[in-house]
Order: sequence, then C-alpha cells, then structure tokens
Amino acid sequence: MIITKDTKLANVIFQNYHLIPIVSRFGIKFGFGDKNVQQVCNQYDINPDFFIEIVNAFNDKDYKPYEKLKKMPLSFTVGYLLKSHFWYNKTKLPIIENLIEQLEWEREGDNKNKEVLKKFFSQYRKEVNEHTVNEETEIYPYVLELEKNYNKEGQVENVFYERIQNKSIKDYADTHDELNSALLDLKNILVKYLYPAKNNNITEQILIEIFKLEKDMTDHTELEDNVVIPVAVKMEEDLKNRN
Amino acid sequence: MSRKITFIIVERSYVIRSGLKKIITSFQETGFVKEFEDIHLIKKIIVKEQPNVLIINAKLIDEAPEIISEIRKISETIKLVVFVGTRRSHEDFPAFDLRIAVDEQKSLIIKKVQELISEIKTEKKDEFSEDLSEREKDVVKQIALGKTNKQIANVLFISPHTVITHRKNITGKLGIKTVSGLTVYAILNNLIKIEDAQ
Repeated sequence: MIITKDTKLANVIFQNYHLIPIVSRFGIKFGFGDKNVQQVCNQYDINPDFFIEIVNAFNDKDYKPYEKLKKMPLSFTVGYLLKSHFWYNKTKLPIIENLIEQLEWEREGDNKNKEVLKKFFSQYRKEVNEHTVNEETEIYPYVLELEKNYNKEGQVENVFYERIQNKSIKDYADTHDELNSALLDLKNILVKYLYPAKNNNITEQILIEIFKLEKDMTDHTELEDNVVIPVAVKMEEDLKNRN
Repeated sequence: MSRKITFIIVERSYVIRSGLKKIITSFQETGFVKEFEDIHLIKKIIVKEQPNVLIINAKLIDEAPEIISEIRKISETIKLVVFVGTRRSHEDFPAFDLRIAVDEQKSLIIKKVQELISEIKTEKKDEFSEDLSEREKDVVKQIALGKTNKQIANVLFISPHTVITHRKNITGKLGIKTVSGLTVYAILNNLIKIEDAQ
C-alpha cells in the first residue's frame, strides 16, 4: 500500500504496526480519530511531503524515497535522524538491557550466560552512544551549516570555506558497519549459542526488540548514505566553486 | 544452518531486478540479494558485501567493459552472471560463468541458477560445513584472549594469512563477526574461562 496525504492515519497503523514508533517519532500522539495524513500533519506542524516519504520508505523496503528527499531541506531528514537517535539511546537500548537483566537459568553455573551477554550489550550500547554523539555534535551541525551557506547567495565566509577544504563530509569515518555487525552477532548468539534460559519468554522479547532495532537502524543508515551525504557533497562542491 | 549464498544484482530496470530476485530467493541456500541500479560503486560494494554471485546487465558492461577484469582482481571466486537481451550470445561474454536471457523460460533460469549454486557449494565445501574444525576452535580461543592476527600466527605456527582465512571461515560458519561476539561464543562453549576474556 502506498501511503498518501489522503490516507487516514489510523489505516496506516492498522496495515503495518511497525509504523507505530515512526509516527510517535514525529511527535504525533495516538487518538487522532479519522483524520488523514494531511490533517494530522497540519495539526502537528509536520511537513506532509516529508512525512509520507518516511512512512512509505519504512512501510515498503522497495520504496526508495531518496530522490524526493534530496530535493527537500536537509534539516527535515537531519531532524528525523536526531529523533531516531533519541529513540535508540533512551528507549530501545535501555529496554533491551533491562530484559537481559531479567534472564535466569536453572543452574547457578549457567549464569555466566547473563554475565557475558550483559558485558557484550553494554559495550554495544556505549558504541552506539559514541557514534550518535559524534553525529550530533560534528556531522549534523556541519551539514546544517552547509545548507545555510548554500541557500545564501554569493561567496562563503573564509572560516567556513577553510572548514570545507580541511574536512569534507567524505572524511567522516563510517562506523555503521561495525555497529551493524555487533547486532548481527547478538542475534546469532541468542538464537543459536545461548544456553536456553529458564524464562524463554524474555529471550523471545529480546530477540523481537533486536530485530526491530536492526530494521530501524538499517533505514537510518540508508537515509544518511543516500540523502544526507550525497546532498552535502554536492553543496560542498558548489560552495567551493563560489570562492 | 549452513552458510548462505549471496547475490548482487546490477540492473536499471525495476521490473527485471524484481523478477530476478524473485527467482533467486526461491532457493533455500540464498542469503541476501542486494539490488543496485548503477555500476559505478560496484567495486566498493563487492569488497564490502563479499557476494558469491554478481548478476549484471550486459548493457551496463558495454558502458564500462574494463569493470569485469577489475572485479576479478578483487574476487577470484565470485561467479559472474550476465543478463542479456535476446540477440546476444554467450560468446560475447567469455569472462562470465553464466548467461541468462530475457526471453528464457522460468524453468530454464531456475535450472541454471540451481547449477550455479551447486557449483559454489562444491567449490566451497569447507565453508558450507557448519561445525568448527579443531584448528578453527584454536583460532577462536586466541581471538577471545585478545590476540592479534600476528600473535595468533606465532602461537599456532601458521602464517598470518592463514589466520585471516580461518577467521573468515569462522565468521561464515558461526555468523559472528566481531571480536566481542566471538569472545561470547568462546566463553559459552568453554573454549576460554570468563575471567580470561579481554
């Protein structure tokens, strides 16, 4: 199903409940009645064109929103990415950590399963946090500054020009792969190698949370790689040519 | 679960890409199938994704004929499949392992892909076995103890290159890639004690 501005938001949720956190991420609260996407977006001051690209992309992995998003202000995409960082660090990762804490085994000796899982996960959480902080303090502000300058006429101020020359967006090291590998490892460990826990329902919940997190992070990375980076590269080149 | 066979499709037409993907994913051996419209990043993608099979439209090769030998330099074992319009024969593409044509029937394409998959599984028999060999267990143990490839090579009297090959095969079998993940595996399987982990 392609979601349009005329689609009722309630039907968006009914046909794919995975969109629940995405809708919340835009600040929309449940209880929106029979309003369609356009009406809800007006109410919450959300750009409806941006909204439908994001929900469609999340809804159907073959729906590639990149060309349309590239034509919109980068601040939209960056704003969305920032909100998903918050969701990872403050919502999802603490939930998973808390679930791991609840795991139990019949025999005392099997508790090392929990100990190693906890250690692995806290390291992963730390890496995600470092990665997101770096993007929030370095990459995103730089990209937004680029856009501001790009939209202004004429030459770029010297200080910013030097910045572009010295450290282009292409130079920011990409650690997404590593974060993704850690998540894949965790899935393998839980599904295949963990000694079965007494409360298997908790293992089940952890796995479901990890799969959801992985899906969200994949979409997140694709937005960065296919929208933010290429647009920023283009702006850098344009700005360099002005001076 | 044995290792999966992974595919990359480079094709501009969405309809053709989807059709090829549908056939490929009908095999249980199939792992990921990634689609790309364009050829220009293909070398980088191959290095990153390490696919077993690359399917590419003949027209894209006409635009950059040198790409095939460059891909072969990156990966000697990758299977190259060319997707062609009707009027071009296999002789036009000697560097390819397989040719699939747009007018071929589904059953023929399935047969060709099946044979290709069998060929890959025979060539990579070791990788497709799921159990770690004793040597691979030794390597996992050393990784979990925090040793570098060079140190592992010294301890086990093998070359660093062999260590890298073992690591690749271990990741293929276990599905675990990171040092932390392998450490968890080593502890859970009693290859090392928890207090010896880094």
